Amino acid sequence: MIDTLPLTATPARRATTLAGAALAVLIAAAGCTGPDSARDGGTPAVAPRAVSVTGSLCDQLPADGEPGSPDSLVGQPADQALGWIPVLTTFEAAVRATGLAEELTPTADVTILAPTDDAFAAKFSRSHLDELLLHDTDTLRGLLRDHLVSGALPVAELVSAGTVTTLAGTDLAVTAHGDGARLDVRGDGDHADAHAETVCADYRAAGARIHVINQVLGTLPTTAGDEDDHPAH
Amino acid sequence: MGGKPQSILKNRCSRTRGRAAAGVLDVPDHSSCLEMPLRYRRTTAGVFSALLAVTLAVTAQPAQAHGQLATTTAELTVEPNQVQGLTVVQGDGYATLAWSPVDGATDYQIERTAVAADGTTGTPVIVGVWRPNRQVNNSEPTFADAGFVPGNRFQWRVRARFGTEAQPYSAAVTDTTRSHWGDPAVPGQNLRTQWETALGAQYTSDVNEYAYTAAIDELSERVRVVEIGRTIQNRPINMFVIGYPTPPATPEAVAATNPLLVNCNVHGNEPGDREACFIMARQLAFTDDPATLDRLSKSTMLILPTINGDGRAANSRGNSTGQDLNRDYSLIRQPETQAFVEMVRDYRPIASYDGHEYGNTNTGDLPMLPPRHQNVAQGIFDGSQDMIEGHMYTQGAKDGWWACPYGCTGANVGLGEETILRNTLGLKNVINSLLELRSSGGPTRPDEGNTANNRRRKTYSALWTFQQFLTYHTANLGDITSARAEAITFQSANTGRIVFRGSRPIEAYPAPHPGDTPPPLDAPREDQILDQPPCAYKLTEEQYHGARTDGPSGRQTTVAQRLAAHGWKVIKVADGYLVPLSQPERGLVPLLLDGQAAEGLVAGERIAPTLTGTHNGPLTVSGVACLAGATVRGPIRVQPGGTLIVNGSSINGPVDASGAAGFVLTASTVSGPVNATGSRGPVVLVGNKVSGPVNVVNSAGDAALVAGNTVNGPLNCTGNSATPVNLEVANSVSGPKFQQCARL
Ligand SMILES: [Zn+2]
Repeated sequence: MIDTLPLTATPARRATTLAGAALAVLIAAAGCTGPDSARDGGTPAVAPRAVSVTGSLCDQLPADGEPGSPDSLVGQPADQALGWIPVLTTFEAAVRATGLAEELTPTADVTILAPTDDAFAAKFSRSHLDELLLHDTDTLRGLLRDHLVSGALPVAELVSAGTVTTLAGTDLAVTAHGDGARLDVRGDGDHADAHAETVCADYRAAGARIHVINQVLGTLPTTAGDEDDHPAH
Repeated sequence: MGGKPQSILKNRCSRTRGRAAAGVLDVPDHSSCLEMPLRYRRTTAGVFSALLAVTLAVTAQPAQAHGQLATTTAELTVEPNQVQGLTVVQGDGYATLAWSPVDGATDYQIERTAVAADGTTGTPVIVGVWRPNRQVNNSEPTFADAGFVPGNRFQWRVRARFGTEAQPYSAAVTDTTRSHWGDPAVPGQNLRTQWETALGAQYTSDVNEYAYTAAIDELSERVRVVEIGRTIQNRPINMFVIGYPTPPATPEAVAATNPLLVNCNVHGNEPGDREACFIMARQLAFTDDPATLDRLSKSTMLILPTINGDGRAANSRGNSTGQDLNRDYSLIRQPETQAFVEMVRDYRPIASYDGHEYGNTNTGDLPMLPPRHQNVAQGIFDGSQDMIEGHMYTQGAKDGWWACPYGCTGANVGLGEETILRNTLGLKNVINSLLELRSSGGPTRPDEGNTANNRRRKTYSALWTFQQFLTYHTANLGDITSARAEAITFQSANTGRIVFRGSRPIEAYPAPHPGDTPPPLDAPREDQILDQPPCAYKLTEEQYHGARTDGPSGRQTTVAQRLAAHGWKVIKVADGYLVPLSQPERGLVPLLLDGQAAEGLVAGERIAPTLTGTHNGPLTVSGVACLAGATVRGPIRVQPGGTLIVNGSSINGPVDASGAAGFVLTASTVSGPVNATGSRGPVVLVGNKVSGPVNVVNSAGDAALVAGNTVNGPLNCTGNSATPVNLEVANSVSGPKFQQCARL
């Protein structure tokens, strides 16, 4: 995708031909004028089983019948399912930036502890986040692997396991927290007090459980907290 | 107060007087309905207000105030301090609630309840808090409720609070909100973006954007989509060119229609405005609304949805190299900003909005700010302020959106950097504003923990702003074009000091509006001021054509390429390249080419005027001559290869330039003919008074600029390799206009 076109000084008319399928995605279903019309567009077929997600944030996320509802994500590849949970734009972009989607395929079941956008904003300054997303993707990949656990584990199983180990090798102590779980980074050093709680747990995707959490785990230093968090326009 | 009828002051168009617990708020008139003069002016006279004030006694029926009164449960009794006269009017993705103020209210809470098809109601939710700093006139409180799913039906109630003490709710109004714009049965109108289809759960991806953009392009005669460039990762940078019945065919023809521009998404992680742009493009492409079609017939709207496609895809602020593109519009190190600046050069928008989102929760819905750099022409600053404070504040108070100045929260933001588009465009004589969408709901929109609600409020507030922008633009075309013409003439005259960094002050807006704390003063320091402007900057061959290290690897551009992208006039002289200040973007020239610049491109040599006093007798120019404020009593002859730059001078005699390297004549008076024949380089004639014929003949260089001159005689242009232009600044010519200058 790099530099295959010369700089264009003269605007050129785009030649466009619309494929029927491409256009179909764009068109509102005739006869429907309300949100019902959007329900079908772009959303995968509803899976047979109703998915029950738990946590304080669940009420604020797409509900039954809405695009991105827990039911609608069952059977979707995990990286695509992440793209339907609106509080995960940073995490989802990070998965794409690091090429980690391959590790989220159904061939190896996985538990995804996905921090919210608010959690990322509280952890990293805006410029640091850009640095991670655009340049330092190896570091970012390591960070993401500290949010993945082998096996697609419901939150109840995480709790009953007591301890799980992330793909990055970090041990997390898991305790019950309401209907969900609290995750404490185990062990030594500066990050021993790092922890997170699930705020909407038990999304199901193909070969994956997704638990939305309220803090960024891992071992990177916190860089948020000054004016750079909200840089001027 | 008991249950007695309350007296309510109804004075929608005049001096406002609302009571707050802390005391009487006395807000000066902001002419919400009175004719607003274009010049940015805060009217203080309250003469009209007394005439317009009407006192209404509230009866048992809700007041039939304004707008369409939706279904209302008529209440036969009025409780003390109960809000009366609640109405709802639907907009695109928002609902404007309006009510009569309650004496003593410190704020109001807006409650919304979903109403199902069978009439059953959901759980009531407080979705809004109205505060006195929300709008410029407190006598007519309004609130734009937004965030709901378009097309759903709701019931609203409003109640006053005295401190924390809630008063009785108003009677409810019930209404169905507008669905996603466009009839699903009408081709074109039935297009929907990914964001709309996903009900805000997803933003529109790059792939979906291209399909949607192509569909509009194909289905609408009013729209032409042009690719103005490519991002570093080779994503197309598309622009909607929208006119009625069809957009003009070429950039030059578009420029002649005084276009307006929305730049929707420079920071990739701030996508709210971009979604509004897609919706607005569809509306403009397929609407049947006569008022909108009328507007599109008077101008051309340029919508640039995704200048930073790589950053949008990555969800990063910067482009793929991490460069903040909104710190690059003057330096244009990046292909994205270069494409943008070339587009501005070619399409010449005269007004613009630049869309962002802002993280501070304690600000209005819609922070805005004009170009503030002190080199921006006064009329451009004033016109931008009129658009913001004169129109958006006033219209926002009617429709319930809370426009306010950006930078009024105490943060050190909203300054004069010329690298920021707001200022860059001001220095390019474009009336324009920043637009921020407050990122989070904040204390006044407490139901935005739901991300989709939050996204919808932001996008529909941007859509409101851009629609208002189009309305303002076409209603004020005459004033905007004259402000621009004055600015181009002023800049080309090269008069007055140069400021390298520093802002014009934003006057405090009267409380309770948040503009009562204006953005930081940001005055220039002494060492950022140059009192005597040079005539030109001279660059060496190495400076002008030498390889650069700034910009993305493998894509660096030379100074020559960048100045060309800006559209600047450059004169090739014997020992380098002269960039005269006396050209339309004069205020930006030193910011890139002076060694003292805060973020310069290259440190050119300042070339001082060669003649500032009086010269008696003929003057022959063989090298470079620069006259500033000079008087020449005799003819001037420029010999082949010579360069003449004249600013603000008086010449008694003909001026003849034959085969000149460059010929620049601005803000001057010439008694006698002016002849530029066979010029090899730039020809610039702006803002002169010439008693005699003017001839621009056989020029070899770029299009001659002939603008804003008064010519007592004929104007003749023939044989020039490019047709001379006037940047829509007309010349006043007493004689005939010939050939290539026929339309100048
Ligand atoms: Zn921004």
